[in-house]
Formats: sequence, structure tokens, C-alpha cells
Amino acid sequence: MRGPQRWVRRLVLIPALFLLSSCSGKQNIFSPKGPVADKINKLQVPVFVAAGVVGVIVAVMLAYVVVTGIRRAKHDDDEEPEQIHGNTKLELTWTIVPFLILVAVAFPTVTTILNISHRPANAMKIDVYGQQWWWSYEYDLNGDGTPEIVTANELVIPAGRQIELQVHSRDVIHSFWIPALAGTRDAVPGRTQILELEADQPGEYDGQCKEYCGLSHANMRARAVALSQADFDRWLQDQQQDAATPAAGSEAAAGLESFKAKCASCHQINGVNEIEGKAALISGHAPNLTHLMSRKVFASATFPLWVIDTQGRLVFNRNQLETWLRDPPAQLPMAPTEARGMPNLKLGDAEIDQLIAYLQTLGPYPAGATAPGS
Amino acid sequence: MAIIEAPDSEPLALPSGGTVAPRQALGVFSRPGQSKGWRSWITSVDHKRVGVLYGASALMFFVIGGVEALLIRLQLVHANGTVLNAAQYNQVFTMHGITMIFLVVMPLGAAFMNYLMPLQVGARDVAFPRLNAFSFWCFLFGGLFLNSSWFLGGAPDGGWFAYAPNTNPIFSPSHGMDFYALGLLITGIASTVGAINLVVTVINLRAPGMTLFKMPVFTWMGFVTQLLIVFAMPVITVALFLLMFDRNFGANFFNVNAGADPLLWQHLFWIFGHPEVYILILPAFGIISEIIPVFSRKPIFGYPFMVVSGIAIGFMGWGVWAHHMFASGVGPLSVAAFSVSTMFIAVPTGVKILNWVATMYGGRLTFTTAMKFAVGLVAMFTIGGLSGVTHAVSPSDLQQTDTYYIVAHFHYVIFGGALLGFFGGLYFWWPKAFGYRLSEKLGSWHFWLVLIGMNLTFGPMHIVGLQGQPRRTYTYAKGYGFEFWNMVETIGAFVIALSVLIFFINIVSSRRNAKSEHLVVGDDPWDARSLEWMVPNPTPAHNFDEVPIVAHLDEFWHRKYGEDDKGRPVRIAATTEVMQKGDPTGVHLPSPSYWPIVMAAGLPLIGYGIIFNLGFAALGGFVLFLGIYGLGLEPSTDPDAAHPHDDRDGHDAPDDHAAPELEAADEPEALTEEVTADE
Repeated sequence: MRGPQRWVRRLVLIPALFLLSSCSGKQNIFSPKGPVADKINKLQVPVFVAAGVVGVIVAVMLAYVVVTGIRRAKHDDDEEPEQIHGNTKLELTWTIVPFLILVAVAFPTVTTILNISHRPANAMKIDVYGQQWWWSYEYDLNGDGTPEIVTANELVIPAGRQIELQVHSRDVIHSFWIPALAGTRDAVPGRTQILELEADQPGEYDGQCKEYCGLSHANMRARAVALSQADFDRWLQDQQQDAATPAAGSEAAAGLESFKAKCASCHQINGVNEIEGKAALISGHAPNLTHLMSRKVFASATFPLWVIDTQGRLVFNRNQLETWLRDPPAQLPMAPTEARGMPNLKLGDAEIDQLIAYLQTLGPYPAGATAPGS
Repeated sequence: MAIIEAPDSEPLALPSGGTVAPRQALGVFSRPGQSKGWRSWITSVDHKRVGVLYGASALMFFVIGGVEALLIRLQLVHANGTVLNAAQYNQVFTMHGITMIFLVVMPLGAAFMNYLMPLQVGARDVAFPRLNAFSFWCFLFGGLFLNSSWFLGGAPDGGWFAYAPNTNPIFSPSHGMDFYALGLLITGIASTVGAINLVVTVINLRAPGMTLFKMPVFTWMGFVTQLLIVFAMPVITVALFLLMFDRNFGANFFNVNAGADPLLWQHLFWIFGHPEVYILILPAFGIISEIIPVFSRKPIFGYPFMVVSGIAIGFMGWGVWAHHMFASGVGPLSVAAFSVSTMFIAVPTGVKILNWVATMYGGRLTFTTAMKFAVGLVAMFTIGGLSGVTHAVSPSDLQQTDTYYIVAHFHYVIFGGALLGFFGGLYFWWPKAFGYRLSEKLGSWHFWLVLIGMNLTFGPMHIVGLQGQPRRTYTYAKGYGFEFWNMVETIGAFVIALSVLIFFINIVSSRRNAKSEHLVVGDDPWDARSLEWMVPNPTPAHNFDEVPIVAHLDEFWHRKYGEDDKGRPVRIAATTEVMQKGDPTGVHLPSPSYWPIVMAAGLPLIGYGIIFNLGFAALGGFVLFLGIYGLGLEPSTDPDAAHPHDDRDGHDAPDDHAAPELEAADEPEALTEEVTADE
């Protein structure tokens, strides 16, 4: 009898266990933080419950027939079972009842599909570009077809406002996903796909590329930062400024020269002259660094650029950036020899110091940050 | 190659008055005649040996795919694992998927279907025995070709689904994806040829009286599976050809810059890929539909509903492919339509589950290892089916897709469904094929460990998936709540590995015990129901002494049992009275041949040629050409071969009764004639 009893326990426990214990974690799909994700959640929770109930019913029936069947075999040794060949009424019942249950699921499903694929009327439009292996965000504020703001790794949005993401890809298929705000949408080269999302409250929301996109797919993180409308307006103003030129003779000025010599063939900093002969990167270019220090993460949002230190202050994560510059392919798998990803530039210690001194000037710093060196 | 009743005395008379003289075999090889040793296996055209070869090769690939799974689990046991790097991991997870789907589950299904379908319909072999052997060698060489990529510059790294344009040489510069395209083209030939063979067998070679609705459920599910293969394989073949041309000859079928839409690949792949899911699972459904009635001592409940729901699954399986593409951008109306069609495919599947439960209801259950696996399938597949319904709801799928929740779902379906079914089938039909039983004690260990192991491995994947762990990622960071459950999954994977080890130990030790203690399994060890049990164990090469005349579903059972007025079974005949004796006198079998393996050997050479140097391709083409002509010009039955008397130990035992041979110009027709002649 031990076997069948284990069956019963297992069959009841498994669904219960996974439903109960999956309500934590930064990317979990049961904690919507915006209306689009909330619509999905309101649909999926009852479906999970219904599936769980059906599962338990089937498990109990199965356990019953197995336990009684084994008991019968042990006790009434000479009694052969009645040879039942079927029962049409029963068959029709268990064809029609599941059908009706599924009809009940299908209606809200179709309604929700149509509901979340409506293009919002007054939404703010932001272009999202996936490329191996990071996300670029472009804001065309005046609608002239040229973005005024080009940033990377952090999608900055105003809280409480509908956003229409126009999802593109510059190389292979990626998929943009911030589970707290919306479901996933594939970035397909040659197509522009729409994803509506909205955050109820200011905050930071994690996600990542969900469609397998090659070598470093696991590190292609996505991140949304929702700001209050006032903060967002300020952010828009700041981001449209060109980068300041460092004072002549400073360490940062030397860093700017290094940047022009070693980095500018791929990376753009607005206000620094375009360099002739851009590198032939497969996806076109590398993240725009004009306001690098305003972002809390770098390198495809894999590493923190700002961290909370032991005294609770938000400080510049210099070590991480230094390690990165020393040998990027050692930090993240990339294929620079195939023009995909950042190569090891074999920078010397002094050069790295100068570059970091320059990069530090690319503010503004995030709210509440302690300025480096202070 | 047909199975021909030998004329009793004189050479066949021709209308002209002359006779057909015995002819020498054409070709460079002398006709193989061995009945034992490795040569007898590589030249065999016996559907049972081909089935065993399929099974053995699939289990070999199962070990390889299992090692790949363990490597994946070792890499993911902790956050930021360092067992594999990203490039290696991407190859390993790609090959794990390809291996398990194309080189393990499909051929395991083929093993059962090859072995059992001719027996269950009362035939002496499949319709085209030499083509059957060709199918197997094609599959084996295709699988070895795919795995050789590990040593020739890197395995495929684009995922088994190989989404364009990530498979373009710009993004996947190693030869891996070439091996993928060409290897799957080769195994695709194997599947297609094998499928046509079995479809013809079921349509044309059924024993007299066996109408379609008297076929065992396993044969029905096999029949539906083979029809799915016949129609699904051409689709993936087209896709793989386009990919191969893109990569090797600069075509632009999937090149976005040249105006292609990469969704073309997805549509082609999933139009094949979703029926493929049912190709994987339906044979296992068939297997447990045989096991459950035998060990419940009741007929299958609702046989016509069982069959029709299988057919319905086969049909509906063609209308759900875009549920793999809910996030791809196929448009809200398509999404809604495919969402709804996907939900309703749950209906026939549910009918099957409930019919299995109803079959057991009121039965006397013998909880043998085979039965344990069958019950395990019902339970585990139900979990997989229900999680499937949760992502048929496409808005929810936008959250769940490409997370470990999906990985959990299809492992409950393919491991908890197909593989548990196959294990059950192995325990059930092992005495049929090899003449000894697998140990029930070790079998019980195997079952409970694999059940616990799979729930430890795949159960927590539901949890981490809903917590947002994406699949196909070689690493994950701390702080997302993934660590604990990933550790559990890895432990579970090793429990599964242990259970599989016990299974292999069981094979070896049971065989040794049977030999040393001269255990004979005897006839009809399970008091079974269908025709394959009416012949001795292990099955003699010629299957049936005389083709049975079928009056009932469960013909063998009905020859043993009647029913009393309460509907309970009553013995009407002893097993020995209804069993055939295994006496092959007068039965002439198709002769072994070298040509199937020669033909198949040409294909991987062509594959290497396309990848490395067209010179190999020319050589491969020549070998293939030679094989085709050798096969075509060789008489299907060796004119010099003798008639066997008793071949329980093998094929073609010498016989004094050498008779001239009937040339089979049209093989299936000749076979049908033979069957009708037996009536």
C-alpha cells in the first residue's frame, strides 16, 4: 500500500507547492506593477487555479482506481473483474464538460488578447532596439524621425503614463520583457512591433531578453526605471544636453583623447566630434555613452555602475568599471573578432585611470548619488 | 523481398511453358547468409531486429543526451556557474534538445512501432523489409553525423528550434548549424521512409478479419503517428534545405537585409514542430493503452473513443503551430485563433486520460513495473497537459514563454509522457523480444527513482519559471530567487541518472540470471490480449506459423476467455491450445542484404562533402547510387537460400528443402496475395 499512498501525496502536493512558492523574486510574473501586466495577471491566476483543481480531481480519481484495484487483486483472488467495454454517455460527458470549461477560459482569453493589443491613443512612443547583446532606447520627442535622446540599458519612463514601445532589432531576434510591467514582445529584424506598458509607481523593474539570441543571451538584461513626471521632465532636459568638454590639461581631458583614439569608432558621445571610419560592427554601433553616469548599470545592465556602500551611500562602482575596461570579453562572453561585442583594447593602467576620469564627467548622477571623490 | 509461400514442388510454370530458373544474386557482394554475429545484424531486414537496433541506438543516444543534461544541470547548480562557458553551454543545450527529440524519443517510438505493428496486425514483416533496414541505418548514420560535429569544429549552437537569422553564418560561424541542417535532413529521410513503410503495412498487411477497428490501440496510435510523420517531415525538410542553401550556397531565404522575413522559418519549423510533439507522444499513449488493460484484466474502456481521440489529436495537431509564436508578432487575430485551437486540443487528450482511468476502474490491478510506468505516465502527463492549458491562454503565455515554466511543461509531457511510456513498454515487451523478464525488483527501484527524480528535476522548473528564469541561458545571477530550486533540480537530474543506471544493470543482470538459471519466460507471461503474444517468446523470425484469422479486438484474449452471464471472463481454452508453435516450415522470409547499409552510408558522406569539400559529396553520391542500384537489381529473396525449419535461435537455418523462388516484381502486392492465399 505504500506506493499508492505516496502517489496521492505527490499528486496533491506538486501543484500546490509550485503555486505557493512562486510569489517572490524580482522577475516573478505574479507581481504586476502596472495595468498591462495586471490584466494578464487577472487572467492567469484563475486559469492556474482551475488547472490545479482539475489536476487534483484527476489525481484523486487515479489514486482511487489504483488503490482499490490493487486491493481487489490482493483480496478477491478468484473474482475476475466485470468486462466493461465502454459507456457512451460517460464518454460524451467527459468530452463535453472539458469543452465547456475551455469555452469558459477561451472567452476572457480572447477579450484580453484584443484588449492588450490595442494601440494606446495618447501613449508616449519610445523606440527599443535589440542587438547582440544589449538594448538601446531612442526617444524621438518632436516626432521628426530623428531621436533627440539615445540611451542604453535603462528604459526611463514616466510613471502613470501609457508607453507605446516600438520594438526593433538590428541583428537577430530578441525579446523585450519586463514582467512587472507587461508580457514579452519579440524584436524581429525588418519589423516594428508594438508593446504597450505602463508603471503605476516610480521604481526600478528588472527583466531580460527572452528569445535566445546567441552567445551572450543570458546577459542581455533589460531594465525599466519609472520616474515621477517632474523627475522625468528633468531627465528629458538633461539627456538632451551634449557632454561637457573637460578642462584642458586635466586627467579627464587626457581621457577624452583616449576615448577619441580607442573608443569612438564604436561608441558615440554627443558633443564629441564624429570619428571618421566607424568600425564595421554587425549591429551598427555600441551603447551611446553621452550620459553614462546617469545610469545605474552598464554593460548590458549586467554590472552596477552605482552601488550602495557600507555607510548606505549610493557611490560610483569604480572597481567594476575598471575591471571591465581592462578586459571586457573576460567579463561577459562576446565575439569581438566577429565584430560582435567589445574587444580587449589592451589599455594601460594610466590610460584606464584617464578614461574613467573622463567617463565620470558624463553626468548627471542619479538622484541621491554621492559624487565620486567627495 | 516479400514473404512468399514457397511452391511445394516444381519451379513456377510460365504461360510460355518454360520455368523460372534460380538466378544468381547481382552485385559485388555475395549474399549474406549469417544468422548470428554482427554481420547478421547489419544485413538483417527482419522488422524485429530493425526494431531492436532502433531501440539499442536510441538508448545509446539517450546516454549521450543524458550526459548533456547533467552538464547543463551542473553548470546551473549555482548562480554564475563555471562548469561550461557560454559557447559550450549553447552547444550542449542545443544538442541535448536535438538528441532527445530526434535521436532518442522518435527512434524509441520507431523501435516499438517496427517491432510490434507487424505482429499486432498479424503480418510476417513490414511491407518493404529492405527499406526498413535502410531507414534504420539512415537514422543511425544521421545521428552519428550530428554528433561528429563535436569533433569537427563545434556542435550546433542555435537551439533545436534554430531561429533565423541567428543561424546565419554571420551569427553562427562554426559548422555546427550545417551539421544540424544536414544531419536532420538525413534522419528525416529515415523517418519518412520508415513512416511510408509502416503506413503501407497497416493498410495492406492486416490479417484476414482484422478490420481497422479491430486493430490494437497501439497499432492505431502508431498508424496516426506515421501519417503525421509522412506529412510533417516534408515541411521541416523544406526548411532545412533553405537553411542549408542560405549557409552553404549564399541563398537569402532568411536574410533580412535581402528582404526576407525571419518569421518564415518559424512558421515552417512549427508547422513541422507541433505535429512532431504528437509524433513523440502518441506511440507512448499506444503503449500504455496495451499495458493498462492487461494488468487491469479488463478491456480498454471506450475503444472507439480512444482511437478517434487519437485521430482527432493527429488532425488538430496541425492547427496549433502558432502557439509557439504568440510573442513573435503574428497579429492579435491569429493569436486569438491559435489560442482557442490550442485549448481545444486538450479535449481529446483529456478523453484519453479519463478512458485510462476508467479502464482501471473496477479492475484487478497487478502493479508490475510496466503497469507502474503506465500509471506514472497518466499522472505525469496530466500535469504536463494542464500546464499546457495555462499557456494556451496567450496573454499568460506572453509572461511564461521562454521561461523555465515552459521547460517544465514539455519535460512533463516528453519525459513524464513519452519516456515513462517507453520504459513501461520495455518492461512489458522485453520477454517478447528477448525471451527473459527484466527483474521486477530492480524495475521497481528504477520506476520510483525515475519518478522522484523527474519531479525533483522538472517540478521546481515550474517555480523558477514563474519567478522569471529564462530558458537557454548559461548562467543566472544571485538575488532572483533561483538558487535553491536550481540546486534541487540538479539533485533530481542525478537521481534520474541513477535510475537509468539501474535500468541498464537490470538488463545485464536479468539476462545473466536467465542464462545461468535457465529461466524460461514461457508463453504469454502476462496473460495478454493481442496477437503478438500468440507466438512464442522470443518471437520467431517468421512471426506466425500461419496467419491468424481475426474475429475480435483483443483476438488472443478472446481465444482464451469467454464471458459468463455477469460479464466476467471465463477460461475457455488453455494458453497452449491457442499459442502457435513457432514452426517455420514452409515459410520463406526475405533474405538479408548488404545494400541498405551501403545506401545509407552514402548520405553522411554527402553531408561532409557539402560542409568541407565537394569531393566527399561526389564519393557519397556514388556510394548512394551504387546502393540504390544494388538494392534495385538484387532479388528480394535469395534464390540460393534454403527454407528454415526451426529458427528460434536465428534466421535461415539450413534446410534440405530448397525450392525455386518466386520473383516479387511488385512487393506489396505479392504480400497481399500471400495474405489472401492464407485465408
